[in-house]
Amino acid sequence: MPVHDATLLERYEAYRTRRFLRNEEKFRNMLPRWRTRRRRRILVVALAATFVLMFTVGVLCHFFERGPLLWLPACLAFFPLWISLQIVSGRQGDAPRAALDEREIQERNSARSIALTVTQSLVMIPVLYLVVGSVQTDGMHPRMAYAGGLMTLTATLIGGCLPAMILAWNSPDPDETD
Amino acid sequence: MSPVRRGETLPIHNRIRVLRAERGMSRAQLAELVEVNPQTVGALERGDHYPSLDLAFRICDVFGLPVEAVFSRTEFGPLSTEVYRIRTATEGRDAQ
Repeated sequence: MPVHDATLLERYEAYRTRRFLRNEEKFRNMLPRWRTRRRRRILVVALAATFVLMFTVGVLCHFFERGPLLWLPACLAFFPLWISLQIVSGRQGDAPRAALDEREIQERNSARSIALTVTQSLVMIPVLYLVVGSVQTDGMHPRMAYAGGLMTLTATLIGGCLPAMILAWNSPDPDETD
Repeated sequence: MSPVRRGETLPIHNRIRVLRAERGMSRAQLAELVEVNPQTVGALERGDHYPSLDLAFRICDVFGLPVEAVFSRTEFGPLSTEVYRIRTATEGRDAQ
């Protein structure tokens, strides 16, 4: 399609694709020993454990004033794990469509669909907590909003990371040169 | 993975691995020619992914063969046996 015919959205998609491919080239050879299925699964499990910790911190915030301090170690674990998982799985979970082939698009769509369902279900927990809790306490609980916020943040993070986690878990080992 | 939405999933067998080996072509080379990820070629060979018509035609173009020579609903026998059978049948007809 000629450039002058491209809509703003198409031009943005083309820009995203170029940027993605440039970054892919840059990160292609990073962490080579972590690209096996076994190691990728270790990262996925560690990330899932971090989410459990984050959610627990959210719950603890309801009871303890100093609960939010525990959020810091959770973040310190989350960022390196998430960045490593994105590098070793080639960022398939959020890659632009034009950078993927038909199988990758199919698998990515399936992973995103699962992630959406999980996010919707998980977000219901803090929603119910905030709605029911605010009614029961007349909105007077001092830490309820903070705790609910952390729980919602955790649920949203899980939803955002889940496609990459599913794809990293399912992808086979890199093909041996034949 | 079948692209079909409902009903029984029918198998699509292929000869990609044999044809590739015959031509001394690596997965990465074939993947580059048909513009997919090398892991997708692996998935096709294992039967984990059924190709779209577009991809099937691209693969057939690389090997210079018709679709039915590369993809089939029934399992393929060894290529050498089939070639020998065809040759024997042709020679038999010629002799008559």
